[in-house]
Amino acid sequence: MFVWGESEGELGINFDHIWQKTLTVLNPLKPADGSIMNETDLAGPILFCVALGATLLLAGKVQFGYIYGMSGIGCLGIYALLNLMSSSGVSYGCVASVLGYCLLPMVILSGSAVFFSLQGMIGTVLALVIIVWCSLSASKIFISALDMEGQQLLVAYPCALLYGLFALLTVF
Amino acid sequence: MHPAGSAAGTPRQPSKRRIPVSHLGMADPHQLFDDTSSAQSQGYGAQRGPSGLGYPTASASPQAAFLADPVSNMAMAYGSSLAAQGKELVDKNVSGLGWWEWGESWGHEARASGRALPPQIDRFIPVTKLKYYFAVDTLYVGKKLGLLFFPYLHQDWEVQYQQDTPVAPRFDVNAPDLYIPAMAFITYVLVAGLALGTQDRFSPDLLGLQASSALAWLTLEVLAILLSLYLVTVNTDLTTIDLVAFLGYKYVGMIGGILMGLLFGKIGYYLVLGWCCMSIFVFMIRTLRLKILAEAAAEGVPVRGARNQLRMYLTMAVAAAQPLLMYWLTFHLVR
Repeated sequence: MFVWGESEGELGINFDHIWQKTLTVLNPLKPADGSIMNETDLAGPILFCVALGATLLLAGKVQFGYIYGMSGIGCLGIYALLNLMSSSGVSYGCVASVLGYCLLPMVILSGSAVFFSLQGMIGTVLALVIIVWCSLSASKIFISALDMEGQQLLVAYPCALLYGLFALLTVF
Repeated sequence: MHPAGSAAGTPRQPSKRRIPVSHLGMADPHQLFDDTSSAQSQGYGAQRGPSGLGYPTASASPQAAFLADPVSNMAMAYGSSLAAQGKELVDKNVSGLGWWEWGESWGHEARASGRALPPQIDRFIPVTKLKYYFAVDTLYVGKKLGLLFFPYLHQDWEVQYQQDTPVAPRFDVNAPDLYIPAMAFITYVLVAGLALGTQDRFSPDLLGLQASSALAWLTLEVLAILLSLYLVTVNTDLTTIDLVAFLGYKYVGMIGGILMGLLFGKIGYYLVLGWCCMSIFVFMIRTLRLKILAEAAAEGVPVRGARNQLRMYLTMAVAAAQPLLMYWLTFHLVR
């Protein structure tokens, strides 16, 4: 345990925080703590992106270019929107970090695509549920970190558009 | 090395904030070179060398050295002017005592975020002005969407003012905003992609094509209306951003039409599109009437002057162009 803690500190990756943020994403109905986004860490999001790419690969779709392109442009759009809507500004790293964390349910969706095809009614319903889950978590974290009131649905909608694009990639 | 020379030698200093060089501690006139041995003369001060621009050397305090650096000079001037703008915006946009604290904190944050931006961006994108249009909340968006689909029962279309500037969209449903048009535009592009996908005509570059053509039509429309407003020499308080906001509202109806067309075929498409066209026509007439027509006509009294008739025709033309464009931009997506 002693050695583990040392290497964790040296690498600059705080596993406890990563786990906390993951739990926040996995439970979209629990209110989030505003201070968890104080340090921008991209370790978790990068891990989830790679996992998404890997599961898509397992399902036979090689679409890394689209993933990177879409996530870059989507992050930029949401960064611009949040800066305009919130009273305090937000950095691009923070936006990328939150959106990356909330990609976790999408990894679950593409994981399940390996086992059964998503092109039927069940697949559509599952995809919609996952999109709503991702966007609610992302908007919940943004709202609590940026102290925006009465705007959760307004923030959730563009996130839903972005995750909808990812879901399209996964399903079709 | 004298103040006039130093001031002339710094072309990047903004004219409204000239920090008197005499306060910064003149370099020793007997010294031919700047003393770069101390840690305090840094950045541009050290690079100027013997050109005699009067930047402080070892004798200056760290704060003066910081201010002498032209980049931070400009940043400070920019930040202060942005703070002043932000504070003005806060003062003007808050109605009622209860919201004052919200406005205050908003102003402080606007100042802080203004400092965080590189100075060049504010020249191209007026961020503070845009922030007004995004100060919305869910209730406002809901009411506005209801108005866009059913404007017939709404009585009072006047935007509330507070000390000569309009109130933020959060507080008044009649104020224009940019959140709905922006989201509607993006959703329109995605739904168009979806529609093309169901007809097996989809490819990712088609999305880009749709987006660019819709943007081009919007730009054309804005320019045409601005041109006609200029020709008719109308003095309105209709700013360009307001106009973009109003013209963006039709995308909501277009999205509705396309979705109905996807679900129920051509009949559904024509029904919903017809309804949305009527609604947007009425909405535009009632909103633009207040902005373009003179005060007398706005109060409901029909005025017979030639000028007012011209303005009325202009309003009607703008409002009539909306349904036409709505049909033009969507009919090829529904087969």
